Amino acid sequence: MKNIKLNLTAFFGMLLSHFAYAQNVVNYDLTITDTIVNYSGKEKRAIAVNGQIPMPTLTFTEGDIAEIVVHNKLKESTSLHWHGLFLPNKEDGVPYLTQMPIEPSETFTYRFPIIQSGTHWYHSHSGLQEQIGMYGSLVLLKKKDDPTFRKGIDDLPEVPIILSEWTDIKPENVHRMLHNANDWSAIKKGTVQSYSEAIKAGHFKTKLGNEMKRMLAMDVSDVYYDKFLINGKNESQLSQFKGGEKVRLRISNGGASSYFWLNYAGGKMTVVANDGNDVEPLEVDRLIIGVSETYDVVVTIPNEDIAYEFLATPEDRTNSASIYLGNGKIQLKSRMPKLKYFEGMKMMNDMMNMDGSMDDMGMDMSLQKMDMNTVMYPEITGNSEMKMDDKMDHSNHSMKTNQDIVTLNYGMLKAPQPTTLPKDAPVREIQFELTGNMNRYVWSMDNKVLSESDKILIKKGENVRITLYNNSMMRHPMHLHGQDFRVLNGKEEYAPLKNVLDIMPMETDTIEFSANAEGDWFFHCHILYHMMAGMNRVFSTGDYVNPNLPDKKWAYKKLQAESNKFHFMIENDFATNGNDGMAMLQNTRWSIGTEWSLGYHDGHGYETETHIGRYIGKNQWFMPFIGFDWRYRKQNGEIEKNLFGQTNTKDQRAVLSLGAEYTLPMLVKLQGEVFSDGNVRFQLMREDIPLTPRLRWAFMVNTDKEYMTGFKYITTRNIAISTHYDSDMGIGFGATLNY
Amino acid sequence: MKSISKILVAIIVLLSFTSCNAQTKNQKTETVKIYGNCGMCKSTIEKAGNLKNQSIVNWDKETKMATISYDSLKTSKEKILKRIALAGYDSDIFLAPNDTYSNLAGCCQYERAEKTIAKMDETKMEMETKDHSMHSDEMTETQETNTLSVVFDTYFSVKDALVKTDGNTASAKATELLSAINKVKMETLKMDVHMVWMKVLENLKAETTSISASKDTKEQRASFISLSESMYKLIKISKQETPTYYQHCPMANDGKGANWLSKEKEVKNPYYGSMMLSCGKTVETIN
Repeated sequence: MKNIKLNLTAFFGMLLSHFAYAQNVVNYDLTITDTIVNYSGKEKRAIAVNGQIPMPTLTFTEGDIAEIVVHNKLKESTSLHWHGLFLPNKEDGVPYLTQMPIEPSETFTYRFPIIQSGTHWYHSHSGLQEQIGMYGSLVLLKKKDDPTFRKGIDDLPEVPIILSEWTDIKPENVHRMLHNANDWSAIKKGTVQSYSEAIKAGHFKTKLGNEMKRMLAMDVSDVYYDKFLINGKNESQLSQFKGGEKVRLRISNGGASSYFWLNYAGGKMTVVANDGNDVEPLEVDRLIIGVSETYDVVVTIPNEDIAYEFLATPEDRTNSASIYLGNGKIQLKSRMPKLKYFEGMKMMNDMMNMDGSMDDMGMDMSLQKMDMNTVMYPEITGNSEMKMDDKMDHSNHSMKTNQDIVTLNYGMLKAPQPTTLPKDAPVREIQFELTGNMNRYVWSMDNKVLSESDKILIKKGENVRITLYNNSMMRHPMHLHGQDFRVLNGKEEYAPLKNVLDIMPMETDTIEFSANAEGDWFFHCHILYHMMAGMNRVFSTGDYVNPNLPDKKWAYKKLQAESNKFHFMIENDFATNGNDGMAMLQNTRWSIGTEWSLGYHDGHGYETETHIGRYIGKNQWFMPFIGFDWRYRKQNGEIEKNLFGQTNTKDQRAVLSLGAEYTLPMLVKLQGEVFSDGNVRFQLMREDIPLTPRLRWAFMVNTDKEYMTGFKYITTRNIAISTHYDSDMGIGFGATLNY
Repeated sequence: MKSISKILVAIIVLLSFTSCNAQTKNQKTETVKIYGNCGMCKSTIEKAGNLKNQSIVNWDKETKMATISYDSLKTSKEKILKRIALAGYDSDIFLAPNDTYSNLAGCCQYERAEKTIAKMDETKMEMETKDHSMHSDEMTETQETNTLSVVFDTYFSVKDALVKTDGNTASAKATELLSAINKVKMETLKMDVHMVWMKVLENLKAETTSISASKDTKEQRASFISLSESMYKLIKISKQETPTYYQHCPMANDGKGANWLSKEKEVKNPYYGSMMLSCGKTVETIN
């Protein structure tokens, strides 16, 4: 009987309970469980908290004490990070940095005072859990007697809105595929930008120039998502609102890697806060919300019997999510037209130097003010890519391009109160260059990933001024834990306060904050897959003793290892003339790869080559390696001569080698190798030349007078139909399987 | 060779079997209204609504009604109508984005049911009052018969003027008729009447306009032939309290014959005036 009672109390505790004690402690119990969801028509694993995705909205009022009890019912460890909150370092929720991971069936209590107001959110900081459901809104209300309380804004009816995305592919696989430059995502999105598409669009030269500069197809985002969600739904309606009413939307972008454009069918939107900090109200037609940013937006419902669509479109515009505000017929907002990728590619070509660095051509870009992607926006630049659709022609002619669209940028944000830092504090200047390598999906700062960098020590009380320059091809939402920074945007003492800075390619931005929070604070790119690739740093005040993390040195090593894991890939072509394949194990710098070619009889022979190499340099075009070759073949001792006159029977051979691989323009890989028997070999190879969206061409030729050419038609994520001609084994047809 | 053709036949049979199967599975058919004008609208609407193995849309430009058939497991009426609205066409669930609508070709710029979207605050009050008047169902019921009977009565006045070969009166009455037609709130009509109304509306307006624009009874009579055809369709479907007579004169319209509607059983030919006043016969009595 007692047991049942206990169970019952536990049960009620697990429900989203909301107990306010005399000391103003607000308690939430969060139970984290595995669940099965169906967003796209397929049942997939996800993680739910208190049985729901997104996680429940947590509401506190400034001055409360938050007490959040986390019950981990998963088979893996977890954590919760309170994004944008000022709190003691040990409550920040970064495993191996501010606490130990919450292990399976463990309960962990976060308890901290709420000392700010605004729209924030919370999410798992463990692995890729954020991608599959662990995100939720966190609303901190102002006290009624707060001197900054704004009548007409802070007293409006409000709705928490959390944006996210869903992929049917396990996020671990998404991550692995990104590192292997697997272009299945691009195929799904229609953004392969193959030669055939380039020719059709009249951009053959652009594509050629792009490959000359050793770039893969450019895109504004990397992952294909099956569904985009607002509060866990692709489409939903809030019919409680009536015509003439104003509604405050507290929007958080809980997407793992998607920026969202926000548009409203009922007219302009008024931006009233950003990252939980009030800003002077601004009327805009649209805005882009970076990964993990928050914006508070006030919208009006202009009509009695019409509901208006609030539309969130991911930056790649592959799809969208909607929420309808109001009751009655639904007034839709027009969809954002498809991006003109080749225009973007052309622009990238102009901006990219041959050595892989970016050239801003003398334009000082900052604060999202000059969005270079604008060349790809048909709604601004006009629809130059005439679709061949018969009926479309007509409508395109009258398509009005609109340069009057007001798009928000950081230069427009202004704090309502002065935000200046203490004047007499010492200033510490830090510079970061954001760097990356799309081909191998390495993302870093100053060309160093977290596992290659120590904590950055800062002194308590210092004014830290950070200048960031984005020298990579992607935009990055850089997030600082535990404190807000000022974005120096020309508003002088009214510079806005933020905790996430979106920085576009070639932009330079300066942020500053007063280092008065003790402890170790994560500073990282909030695109989940960039973070997991190592685009992180830690700011540390050094002397902080964290009771939740006894061995900080060991823990930091663990943290570093988290974002520099080895990724495995394997591929094999089961062909009529033999098996060709390779397997690779790679991390940020190292590559262990084996290639094989196995005939079906001794005459064709069996052959493997193993290379262990290390990528050098920012662009990772150069990789010296040591290797081991083994070969067996029965061809009556026939002697082969290479281009240098060296001879070899190759019938039975086991040699060590020393060599290097270099990526040439056009992404052709040049490999030079010296073997332990004195033989030398040079080889040129390129795989995956995109002829059409799904057709790939490969070739290889070397100084041993071996050559190969082949075609591959990609049918599904893991299977391609292939044919190739090989100088050893002749012509073959088959299927290529990859993992 | 023979075996190949056998295999082919087998494949074709198999394919046709599966495709038949696919069509009947979970199929649902509904009729919905979609605003639009012309043949170009039709192809845009259908292209937007059709989705392979999911939905087939067939829109009738006369009635503005679309028959949508869809696989209820794969999609829904709302999804189809949303796509159509995003292509620029309003329905009773979704309103097309304003910019998409204004980018439609000129001939496709149909009259929108709600014209008050753009101006929000000024028109809000109007919308509200309009709303109130529509709340009572009984009121709309009486309104419906009223508005349509006004149309019929005015038509009879036009006819009477033509019987008298009075071009001026015919023109004046036709102007009245036009305004009566414009006053009809088609959304208050019953479904079947509504369908016919949509079909004949354009013709009614066109012929009435040309009668009103002319004082020459010859021209007016030519228009009256087609106007009467449309009126006949309309009066046949809508129930009127008193019977109407559908009458025919074989000599009118250059010997091709023409019809008209009358409240009286006695034939009074509107096509010849006093010359052949009683030429014709009642072909149908509509109750």
